[in-house]
Order: sequence, then structure tokens, then C-alpha cells
Amino acid sequence: MSYATQTSAQSGSLPAFRFSTAETMKHVVLIVGCLIVLLPFYVMVSYSFKSPAEIMQNIGGFFGSQEAFRDDYCIKLGKDIADCMVTPVIYNYTTAFEKAPLVRYLLNGVFVTASIFFIQVLVALPCAYALAKLRFWGRDVVFGLVLFCLLIPVHAIALPLYIMLAKLGLTNSYAALIIPWSISVFGIFLMRQFFMTVPDDLIDAARMDGMNEFSIIWNVMLPTAVPALLAFAIFSVVAHWNDYFWPRIVITGDRSLFTPPLGLREFKGDADGDNFGPMMATATIIVAPLIVAFLIAQRRFIEGITLSGMK
Amino acid sequence: MARSKAHYWFVGPALFLMVLILLLPIGIASLMSFTNYSLGNPGAEFVGLANYEKIFTRSAYAKMFGASFRYVFVVVPLSVGLGLGAALLINSIKRFGDVYKTIYFLPVMAALIAMATVWEFAFHPTIGIVNSTLERGCGSFLESWSWYAHGCKQGFPLWLTDRDYAIWTVAFIGVWQAFGFNMVLYLAGLTSVPRELYHAAEMDGAKSAWERFRLVTWPMLGPTTVFVVTISVIRSFQVFDTVEAFYPQGGGPSKSVYVMMFAIYEKAIQQNLMGIGAAITVVFLAFVMFLTLAQRWLVERRVHYT
Amino acid sequence: MASISLKAIEKSFGETSVLERIDLDIAPGEFLTLVGPSGCGKSTLLRILAGLEAPDSGDVLIDGERVNDVRPADRNLAMVFQSYALYPHLSVGQNMMTPLRLRDLSFTERLPLIGQFLARAKYRDLSSQVSDAAKVLKIDHLLARKPGQLSGGQRQRVALGRAMVRKPVGFLMDEPLSNLDAALRIHMRSELAELHRSLQTTFVYVTHDQAEALTMSDRMAVMMDGKILQLGTPDEIYNNPRDIRVAEFVGAPKINLLPGYLDADGHAACEDVVLTRVAKNCSGDITIGLRPEHLALCSVKDPEALQGRVVHKENLGADIYLHVILHQGGHRLVLRAAPIEGVPVSIGQNVAFKLQHGVAMVFDEAGKRVDLSHEAEKAPAKSGVKATVPEVA
Repeated sequence: MSYATQTSAQSGSLPAFRFSTAETMKHVVLIVGCLIVLLPFYVMVSYSFKSPAEIMQNIGGFFGSQEAFRDDYCIKLGKDIADCMVTPVIYNYTTAFEKAPLVRYLLNGVFVTASIFFIQVLVALPCAYALAKLRFWGRDVVFGLVLFCLLIPVHAIALPLYIMLAKLGLTNSYAALIIPWSISVFGIFLMRQFFMTVPDDLIDAARMDGMNEFSIIWNVMLPTAVPALLAFAIFSVVAHWNDYFWPRIVITGDRSLFTPPLGLREFKGDADGDNFGPMMATATIIVAPLIVAFLIAQRRFIEGITLSGMK
Repeated sequence: MARSKAHYWFVGPALFLMVLILLLPIGIASLMSFTNYSLGNPGAEFVGLANYEKIFTRSAYAKMFGASFRYVFVVVPLSVGLGLGAALLINSIKRFGDVYKTIYFLPVMAALIAMATVWEFAFHPTIGIVNSTLERGCGSFLESWSWYAHGCKQGFPLWLTDRDYAIWTVAFIGVWQAFGFNMVLYLAGLTSVPRELYHAAEMDGAKSAWERFRLVTWPMLGPTTVFVVTISVIRSFQVFDTVEAFYPQGGGPSKSVYVMMFAIYEKAIQQNLMGIGAAITVVFLAFVMFLTLAQRWLVERRVHYT
Repeated sequence: MASISLKAIEKSFGETSVLERIDLDIAPGEFLTLVGPSGCGKSTLLRILAGLEAPDSGDVLIDGERVNDVRPADRNLAMVFQSYALYPHLSVGQNMMTPLRLRDLSFTERLPLIGQFLARAKYRDLSSQVSDAAKVLKIDHLLARKPGQLSGGQRQRVALGRAMVRKPVGFLMDEPLSNLDAALRIHMRSELAELHRSLQTTFVYVTHDQAEALTMSDRMAVMMDGKILQLGTPDEIYNNPRDIRVAEFVGAPKINLLPGYLDADGHAACEDVVLTRVAKNCSGDITIGLRPEHLALCSVKDPEALQGRVVHKENLGADIYLHVILHQGGHRLVLRAAPIEGVPVSIGQNVAFKLQHGVAMVFDEAGKRVDLSHEAEKAPAKSGVKATVPEVA
């Protein structure tokens, strides 16, 4: 019966055993892969629970033994030893929030990411509609321009953008964080491909009903485009929440504008041995929102990536 | 199709922003690359091709190209290959496919700067988990591998601070972060392979998984592969987060990790040498555009069969 | 050439039973068709034969040997798929060479460049086999093209060619003509039949088109709901269906079915329609089956004439089919008329027609065919013309 163990589900419905050796081997390989992939997540979360001593010595299991340890910084401030015994996990996370305005950074992240996406949709959706459904002189030129701009990675032109913003005195501002991303050619392209699949009749019916072009976009096209919009949202939010390069360039002094990645970097910058715990806690807090969102809605995420990839 | 003026309003903002934010900067960068401008100076002198000459002759920039190419030529094949491998494996198992998919995609979602910080710690020569795990294996059969034995005696590599290992370690992190994304794209591509082709292959005598792969899977994944490679190449050329996080100054041990984006950042932002920063930008853009177009051209010629 | 046997094959997908105890013996070199409506299990049966599916129980035997555990690639059967399943990235010649390469060349010999260098003689031999098959199918001028550049009919030939080069012991065909347009389909029927005669290999053919089954097969198996209702030559199936469902499925236009009963003497009757032969050993409600060609227009004065009103007329050129509603009872019949008789008839007109003797079929309540026999002398007064068709048992 050895032939059965060579087959895979790729061949469709060829007979195969339930516990064949081939299947087991595949799982072994995949599990080893999982271990490597999850290693840094494990380290990050685990160390955010641990005391400095445990971190240095690499002991304590996943959660750390949670024995109270002595907070030297607090002793420096002149308090009693007895008042300065803290449990690691509480210490790590509270320090994370206290040492730098982490909540502020998180809010910045939310604000910036949401604004970027909102403006992108505002700009891209009408343009995509016009390119897909309206006929006008120069349409092909504009679309050609869109295709050309797809070749330009925005990070690559960070330098001249920075200069332009500096000349306008806009560095160190929310505007600087948001404006360069307001045009998303990828979004235009994706939505246009999607809109082309909407039947013209639907739009003509709306026109007959008296809708003007503007309200057609928001009342007719937008609802049908929700899957594509979701895909676009995922791309945009993930990219901009995690973006480190651009904020690093453009926020040069005003810490209150830091986005989460910058906040972590700042933490790291002045990290010494005692601060690994809080640093890991900060990292966990920054990474958690997207991971949790992803875990809740994985299918949507993966469908979204797939959808945009296939277009 | 209506003929109205509405399209001006629709296309206008996008067009305006495209020109302002995407095209104008290219022009500015091109112009600037011929000068020695610094931010804060009232004006700039025209220096002709001096900046480009520096880029293509000075050793620091040779290292820049070296680091960038090494990184790209390691990360792209590995992340594409692993993405494909993971997709094939996951596609062929009966259970837990979704679990593996989710786990492998996590690195893509996590902010690279955060994970880089963690990796830096994991790779710490003494207290990092990588070396301490390797050390646990000392004294076992693994010592028959000479590299391992050497490490047990004289200490395992310093990874990120070792000139010979740094770029590969950074590349490893890049692969770790990227392959999940490629895996998802390949999984999508695999679902569009017509199943009857596999049956035909079986009837024709393709008995092993390798033969099925060569005859059906790989050719049918052609368009997907081109897309995946294009995206991977562009993203790899743009690597910055890990490099700046590990080596805020200087680009790694003897500049072995001095990738192009970091060079731009260092020259233009840290050292305020906009002219040469712009020149590197132009070279970088040229690379990326050329590679993307080359791959698009390949798609038209070789990969679409219908 | 090999004999193929399927014994007690059963298959279910989840809760749905798709095949129920199929027994089928295929003689070497015969053209056997599995025909039936969609969902009857014929494709599944073919795939079980190929090895692409495993039966839940039962055996597949090729040349007397049980091959259940032999993988498809080793069964020496070739399959032509409905969608042709040609490799889009390979040329026609390469497509056809694939089975030969996989079978006759070792791994090293198959490598892209080196392989051809190492095994030049073998490659030449394989190429000549491919061009021979291509010549037979008249596609030798297409060998360098890719499938995407071919028409449907050409692709079909390539799929056939790919199956032929292997010289298998049997060809399995899964509705190969269904993607072609009507005229090409009819042309390909004869080509396939001639191909079969020249190759003299077993053909197992699956289709839902009863015309294909009738015109091409040596024997045909009519399947419905996972069972073989009847296995026999096209003649037998058409003229002597054992089940009402077989009678309905085969034959175009469909057979006329009249619900009726058996009168006291055993003659099947439905209003005016009374059969000359009697059914013994049968009671209860019956159905009378009359094929359109069993009815003929006649003069109103004919003692056996039945009367009806024409409601529809189909002019197919060589035949005219009149849809008639009987005056007595209101049942609808389709009868065939020669152009000379049928063309003048108009819709709404009353016509008279009668049954040919000895060819009507009777089915009992369960749908099974009831055998009729001639009763001596007790035929009703309206007897006349004797049947010219040999008696059906």
C-alpha cells in the first residue's frame, strides 16, 4: 500500500491514509517552522512578564516566577526598600506607560492611521470611479500616470518630500505624518479594477433616478465595493501603523507626536540592562492591537491580501 | 457613460496629489543630485556629476551596493522559496491548515521595529536565547559539526556585531518577516490551478510529488511567482527599520549592513548632505523602476499562456 | 487490449450514495458507453475505473487482476477529460510526449537540457511516436503551437493524441465531445468510431447524450441514480428497453407514454388506443409506450384510425413531427410523418393515424417492461395489418 503514502491532497481525491508517514512529516516540518516564527513573540511577551534577573539568566519559564524584586530606581529616589519591592509584570507594564507617554503615542498612531486611510479613500474612490466608469478626454493618460506612479515606492522619495515639508515649516507636525500618504495609487488601482466589475446598468439606473455623479459614488459604488475597501483598509492600516521610516525622518524633535514605533525606538535608545522588561512590555503593547485584530478576523485579512494580490 | 464635468472634481485632487507628492519629488531629487545642497543653506552650487562619481567609486558606496545586493539576493529567494514551500505544505495537509497560515502570517502584521528589538535581544551574544540554546547543545552529538564545536570552545558568533555574520543575520530577520506574505499570495495562486491538470498528470504517469510540481504546479504558478518576486524585490531594497534599529550610526560592523535606504538617511538627514543623498535616491529609484519593468515585461512574454 | 470488470462497486460521498452495486464486464476491444442524465454516477464510475477515486467497496479488475490498489499511473489506461486538461505551458508536441517521457525516460534523462543530450536516441524515438499519432489525428502541423492557440476541436484531438501515444490497454473518455459545437460534435462521432475500429482497443465512453451512445457504441449501459438500468447493444436498448426510464431516455423525440390499464382479455388499453397483443401475468395500471415512428398518418376511414388535433408541428427537413392531442382522453402524442404527408398538415387540423402492430411497449406500475405475446384468434375485431417488425419477446 505504499503508493498511498506518496499521494497528497494536491492530486485531488487519490486515496490516502489518515496517519500516513508523509502527512506526519509535513506536520513536523510545519511545526518546526512555527517554533522559529513564534520565537520572538514568545521572547517578547515572556520577557515583559519577567524581572531583570530572570531576563539576564534566561530562567523562569514563560510567565516568570513573579517574585517581587527590588526596584533600584525607586531606591535612588530615596524611598524605603520595603516600598520598592514590585512584581515584575506590574512593574514592566506600568513603567512602559510611565517612562514615556505610551498612551499618547498609541492615540497618535490611531489618529494618524485613521486620518491617512480616510483621506486616501476620499481621494482615491472618486478617481477610481471616474477612471472606471466615466468617459472623458485624457482618461487613458491619467490611468497611464497611475500605472507609472505604482512603480514609485514612496519611501524612496522620502528625501525630497522631507525637504519640501521642511521648507514649508511643516516638519514635526501631524500634517507631515499624514500628507505624503494621502495619495494612494495602489488604492486607486485596486478600486478601479473592482469598479470595472460593477455593471453599468446599476449606475444608469441611479442616474435615471436623478442622482448626481457625486452621490452615485457614495451611495451606489461604495456599498458594492466593501470587500475591496476592506482589503485596502487592511493594507493601509497595517502599513501605516507599523511605519517607522517616515516618522523617523519627519518628527525631529517633538516627542508628543511620536507614533508607536517611534516610541519604542526612543525607549530602546536609552535602554540599559534594567529596562529590557519594560521595553518588551512596550513592544508587546505596540504589536498587540494589530495581532489581536488579525487573530479575530484572520479570514478577512487573508482574503484581503489575496484580493489585492490577484488584481 | 455620461459626459459631465464631474470627472474634473473626481480626478482633480488625485492628479494634483500625484504630481505634487510623487512626481515633483522625483524631479527635485534629480535636480538636487547635481548640487551640493544642504538644508539651511540659502542656495546650492551645481557640481555636475560629482555626486554620482562618488557613489560609483568610493569604497563606502561599494559597500552600500554590496550590502543591498547581498540582502536582496538572500531575502528574495529565501522568502519566496519559503513562502512557496509553506503554501505547498499547507495546501496538502488535511487539518490545521488555518492554524499554520495564521501563525506564519503573524510576522507580517507585527511592527518590524518592535520585532527587530526583540530579535536583537534574542541574538545577544551572552544573554540572548539563541546562543544560550546553542550552548545547551554543547557536549552532544552536535559537536561533530565543526562549526558547532568551534562555537562551543570559543563562544558562538556575535551575530549582529560580527562583520561576517551581521548582514546574514539581518537578512534572516528580513526573511522571517516577509515569507508569510508570500505564502498567502502563493496559497491564492494554488487555488487557481485547475485540478483536472493533476488528474491528467497522474494518468500520464507523474507519480511523485516532485513530478507533479514540475509538470503542473510550478508552471501554473508563473504569474503568481512574478508578482511575488517583484513585490519582494521592491520591499527588500527598501529595508530600513532593522538596520537603523541595530546600527543607528554607521551601518553595521565595517559597514557590512550599509543598505541604500540607510545610506540615504545617513547622508541626507544625519549629515545634511542633501546632494549626495539625492543622488543615491535617484540611483535607487532607477534600480527599482528598472527591475519592476523588467519583471512586467517577463510576464507578458513567458508566463501567460492563454 | 484488455478485458475490464467492475464487481459490486459502491460509492458514497458523505451521506449521498452515488453508485449502488455496479457490476459491469467490458469485453476486450469493445466500445462501451456509460450513458445517463447528470448526476447518475457515470463519471464517478469512470474515475473509479481510472483509479482517480477509490470505491467504498467492490473490485476493479483489468485482465482478471484486481487493481484496486494500483495507482492510476500504473494501470496502463489513458483518459481524455471533458476539459481536455492539456498543459497550457507546453506545446502540442510536448503535451503528447509527456506520458512517454514519464514512462520511458529515467529521471536524469528527463532533465531539461542535459537529458536530451544524454538520451538522443530515445528522444528521437519518442518524437517519432508522437508524430505518428499526430498524423493519424491530422494535427501534425500543429505540433509547435500551444493549446491556447488552438480551437476546441483541435484541442480535443491533442487530448486524444496524448492518450493514444501511450498505446494503453483501454481509453477512458469523460464527455469529450460536450464542449464542441453541434456540427463538430456530429462529425467527431464518426471519427471517434473509426478511430476505435482502427485502434481495436477498449473504449469506455461516458456521455449524457443518448445520440452519441447510440451511434458509437458496441454496447451501452444506461445508468440512473447510481444503478445500471440496462446493458446491451444500441439496438436492444432502443427497441427493447426493459425499464420505462430507459425507454424515455433513449430516442429523440421522446417516446410517447400513455397511462392505461389492462382490459379483461389482457389487452393494454388507454381510451381508444388498444393493443393487439396481450400481457399475461400482469395486473394493475400500466403505461403504453409508443415511439413516434410507430405511429403513421392514415385515412379517416381506416378501421383502426385514431383521431386527434394537431397542436404543434416540427419540420426537421427529412422528418415532420406532429404533436397531436387525442380527441378521446386528451393525451398528447408525437407522431412522425414523411414530408410528403406532413407538410400539408396545419396546426389545429384534425388528423387520423394508427399504430403499427407488434411494436408497442407496455410497462407495469413499477416501470418494468411487460412482455407481450400474440394471442391466437382472440384479437379484437379491428385487427388488420400484421406487424412487419419481428416480434419482440
